[in-house]
Amino acid sequence: MSNPLQVYEPFRAGLPPLGRYWKSLWSRRTFVAEYSRSELREQHFDSVFGQMWLVLNPLLLSGVYFFLIIIISGSSDKTRYAHLTATLFLFYLVANSLTGGVKSVTAGQRLILNTAFPRIMLPLSAVVIAIFKFLPTMAVFLVMRTILGLPFDVEMLWAVPVLLIAILLALGLAIAISCINVYFRDIASFLPYLTRTLLYLSPILYEAVDLKPTLKTIELFNPLFPLLDSWSRALVHGQVPLMSNLLISLAWAVGIFIIGTYFFLSREREFAVRL
Amino acid sequence: MLSASNTHKTNEIAVSVRNLGLTYTTAIDRRPTLKARAKALGRGSKQTRVIRALDQVNLDVEYGQVLGVIGTNGAGKSSLMRVIAGILPPTQGRVEVYGSVSTLLALGVGFNPSMSGRDNVYLGGLAAGMSRDEIDSHFEEIANFSELEDAIDAPMRTYSSGMFARLAFSVAATVRPDILIVDEALSTGDAKFKEKSLNRIKELRSDDRALILVSHAMATLRDVCNDVAWLHKGKLIQRGEPNKTIDAYQEFLQVGKSAAIDEDV
Repeated sequence: MSNPLQVYEPFRAGLPPLGRYWKSLWSRRTFVAEYSRSELREQHFDSVFGQMWLVLNPLLLSGVYFFLIIIISGSSDKTRYAHLTATLFLFYLVANSLTGGVKSVTAGQRLILNTAFPRIMLPLSAVVIAIFKFLPTMAVFLVMRTILGLPFDVEMLWAVPVLLIAILLALGLAIAISCINVYFRDIASFLPYLTRTLLYLSPILYEAVDLKPTLKTIELFNPLFPLLDSWSRALVHGQVPLMSNLLISLAWAVGIFIIGTYFFLSREREFAVRL
Repeated sequence: MLSASNTHKTNEIAVSVRNLGLTYTTAIDRRPTLKARAKALGRGSKQTRVIRALDQVNLDVEYGQVLGVIGTNGAGKSSLMRVIAGILPPTQGRVEVYGSVSTLLALGVGFNPSMSGRDNVYLGGLAAGMSRDEIDSHFEEIANFSELEDAIDAPMRTYSSGMFARLAFSVAATVRPDILIVDEALSTGDAKFKEKSLNRIKELRSDDRALILVSHAMATLRDVCNDVAWLHKGKLIQRGEPNKTIDAYQEFLQVGKSAAIDEDV
C-alpha cells in the first residue's frame, strides 16, 4: 500500500518522539511566518503610523524614566540615557514575548480542537512577533546613539550573541507561560505585576555596577540581570561583556528553554481536552 | 499533504480502529484559575473530572464507504473523530489511518476572530500541513463555494454563525482529502446552502474516498450513507445497514433503554 500510514497509539508519559515532532514543526514553518505577518497586520504594524507607535512607545517610556532618574539622583548624562533606552528595548523584547505568549495556546482553542499540529508553533509565533516589534526599535537606538555622539566600537558586536541568548530566554519563557496558562487562566492577569517587578529588578533604571553588593545576591535569581548588563556593556559602552555574565545568562536561557519545552511537550497532547 | 495524491481501491481499509479506549482528565471549571485552586486547597474540593469517552471501540472504515456516526450527546462521537484525526491520542488500543484526513469538526475553522476569513483559511490550512501553493490553488474555489463574496476579507468576528459554518464547510469539502470527517456541520446554514453542501457530500462520495459524517439529521444519513455506526456512552452499540441501525437508534431514543445497552461487551 502506497498510502501514507499514520498510527495513533497510547503515549507514555513524557516527550513525544522528538525527531517526528521536529519534522512536523519544520514542515509548518510557513505557518509561523504567516501567523506573525497577519497578526502584525491586524495590529496595524504594517502601516507607517503603526511602525511609528512601535518606536514611539518605548521612546516615550525611556523619556519618562530619564526624567525620573534626573529627579531622583539629581543628575544624568547621555550615556545614561543610551543605557536606559537600549536596555528598555531589549527588556520589551522579553516582556512582549511573555504577554504575547501567555494567551497564545488558549486563544488558539479552535485550531487546537480541530487540527493536529505541533502546538509549540503558537508560543513560537508569539516570540517571532515580539522580534518583529523589536527590530525597528533597534534601528531607532542606533540613530539615537549616533546623535548622542557615542563612539562606535568593534566590541559592540558582542550585542549579537547577547541578543541570541535573549531570544532563547524569551522563547523558553513564552513556551512555559503559555502552557501554565492552560491550567491557570488567571496567570495572564498576574503577568503585568511580574513584568513590572522584573523591570525594576533589572539594570535598566540603574547600571549593574551601581548596585549595592548586598542586593546583588537577589539578582542571582533574575535571569535578565546578567543579560541586560552584558547588553549595555556591549551596545552602550562598547566593552566586552563579562564572560561570567554571558555564561550565567546563557545557562538561564538554556535552562528555562529546556524546562519550559519539556513541560510543554509532555503536556500538549492533552491541551485539546483542557481548553 | 491534505490533498488526495494516491488512488485508493474500493474496500481498501482507510481507517482501522482497534480496541480504542479514551479516558481523559478535564477541568471542572470552564476557566480554571490559580485563585480557585488556592481557595479550594483547604476545602479539598475536586478541580478535575475523569471522563471515559470511548471504551473498547472497534471500527473499520473502507474506501468507498460513507459512514454515518450517530448517538446521543456525550456518546463520544466527537472524541472518536478527534482520535481518528490525530488531535487526541488514544488511552488504549490502536488507530491506523491510511491516507490524509481533513476534519470539519463542530467548531469549524477560524481560530482568530479578529483576522479576516482569508487569513483564517490560510492559517488553518498551513497548520494542517498544507503548503501555501496548495492553498492558493484551492482558495478561489473555497471563496466561491462559501458565497461569502466581499465578507471573505472582513474580520471573522463580524460573521454570523451561518457564514462561519459555510466557510468551514467550504474549506473541508474543497481540499479533497482521502478521508473527510464532517462533524455536525451540515445542520448549519440556510436551506439553500444545506442542499448545496449535501450535494457536495454526494459528489465527494466516490470510490477512492472515505467519508465519516457525524450528524443528528437522520433523514440525511439515511439518504447519503451506506453504513452507520451507533455509539452510546463511549461504546459501539450497532454497526451496519443505515436504515436498520437508525431504526434501532430511534426506537432506543423513544424507549430510553435498550437491551443492547445493558449488555456488557
